[in-house]
Amino acid sequence: MIVAYIFLACMTLICALGVVLSRNIVHSALFMSGAFLGVAGFFVMLNAPALAAFQLLIYVGAVTVLMLFGIMFTQRPSARSFATILNRQVWAGLAVALGFGAVLSYFLTVQDWGSVSPGNGPRQMQTFGENLLGVGGGPQIFALLFQVAAVLLFVAIVAAIVISRRRDADQEEA
Amino acid sequence: MFSFLDFLNQEPFRFIVGLAGVLFLTLNLSAILVMSERKTAGYIQLRYGPNRVGPRGLFQPLADILKLFTKENLSPARADLWIFLAAPIAMFIPVAIVWMTVPFTERSVIADMNIALLFFVAITSIGALGVIMAGYGSRSTFSLLGALRGAAQMISYEVPLILSLLGVIMITGSLSLVDVVNGQSGGFWHWYVWPQLPMFLIFYMSAIAEAKRVPFDLPEGESEIVGGYMVEYSGMTWGLIQASEFAGMGLMSGIVATVFLGGWQPPLPFMDLGVFNWFWFGMKAAIIMFTFQWIRWSVPRLRMDQLMDFGWKVLVPGALIWLFVTAAWMAIF
Repeated sequence: MIVAYIFLACMTLICALGVVLSRNIVHSALFMSGAFLGVAGFFVMLNAPALAAFQLLIYVGAVTVLMLFGIMFTQRPSARSFATILNRQVWAGLAVALGFGAVLSYFLTVQDWGSVSPGNGPRQMQTFGENLLGVGGGPQIFALLFQVAAVLLFVAIVAAIVISRRRDADQEEA
Repeated sequence: MFSFLDFLNQEPFRFIVGLAGVLFLTLNLSAILVMSERKTAGYIQLRYGPNRVGPRGLFQPLADILKLFTKENLSPARADLWIFLAAPIAMFIPVAIVWMTVPFTERSVIADMNIALLFFVAITSIGALGVIMAGYGSRSTFSLLGALRGAAQMISYEVPLILSLLGVIMITGSLSLVDVVNGQSGGFWHWYVWPQLPMFLIFYMSAIAEAKRVPFDLPEGESEIVGGYMVEYSGMTWGLIQASEFAGMGLMSGIVATVFLGGWQPPLPFMDLGVFNWFWFGMKAAIIMFTFQWIRWSVPRLRMDQLMDFGWKVLVPGALIWLFVTAAWMAIF
């Protein structure tokens, strides 16, 4: 368990550093997928395979691929120099990262976890789905959020169709 | 002897042995599939195919692998070497680890996860990343074109692939592949292929597209872009890309056999073979693999716009309609 944790932590941290430090933007995107894989490994370690699968499906399979598509369609991926990477925002970035880390560590240490061990709680897919739809006895807000997300995705799909539609009639008039 | 087997059946060793077995199976499956592909092509085109090495050419994969190992591993001078070399690995590993969740019999499944189908879908979506890496890393226009085609096709056909699995998930009420197969026990008329026939066809065609085979082999398209994202590879890196493509085809056959054709369940109840029921799983998967090859040598390649139209305008609405039919059927009965 410790060995797996050290391996995953090293993988996540090295990939995360690679995202911000590599000179090629495509390398950054690929390093980011490595960091996401490491996080998915943490979810597996914590007995939450469903979260790991969603992490893979959404972040590695969709977000990274979308970013790579965006990079390749917009500009020629060019090597930046280290001067542009370590610009004057580096101290601000460091401050934000340290502050966020401090807040997270504070709440993790202050909270009394008691005898909670990873793997407890409703992590079965069925319970998860029922809670999400508001029939499992969980907080009803999840059902509302589910509906809102569905509406948002629907709007996005319609917008994508409208934007990418071939405007044959307009071109004939022009 | 049995105590040693019991020792191996404990958790870390069971996993390690299973992982080694799955890697062995995946690599050998792709080697054998290359040979059977060439034999099938030969017989369909009224010629012999490979028939010199060993009896009826059966040792041809061995000779192919030896030849690939002795070839030099070239890379283009301006290639992005790390991405170029990592791409075949990034294509092969996802295919290999999905095999861990496929049940060969009720007890011989390496990782019996309760989200096996979700895991399959998630890992399949990584496959596009390897294709993009190969195309970008080669720094060649043909490779980049092939990679963009491949990624677009794999992302598009992922949608009907996922939607077509939903019907079975709704009927079973579980994402576990073992539960899916157990729900199809008791003869071939209980297999999900009958109530879910449109879903089966949609999944079958999306699986061909995900495996990038004819008639959906636009990413390779040797007559226009001379081999697509794998044009710059040679030697064993090319061999690994080919291995991952053929292993992916074998994996899709295995999933089709598991989800729609009853997995290890015998076609008639009295044909139960007990612990040897993996024979039925293997037979079903092999027949599906043969139909993949049959299609490859029988139909021409689609055009890019036809491919996209077929995916988004035929398969996705079809899957949605049958999803509603299944839901209505479940709600009424």
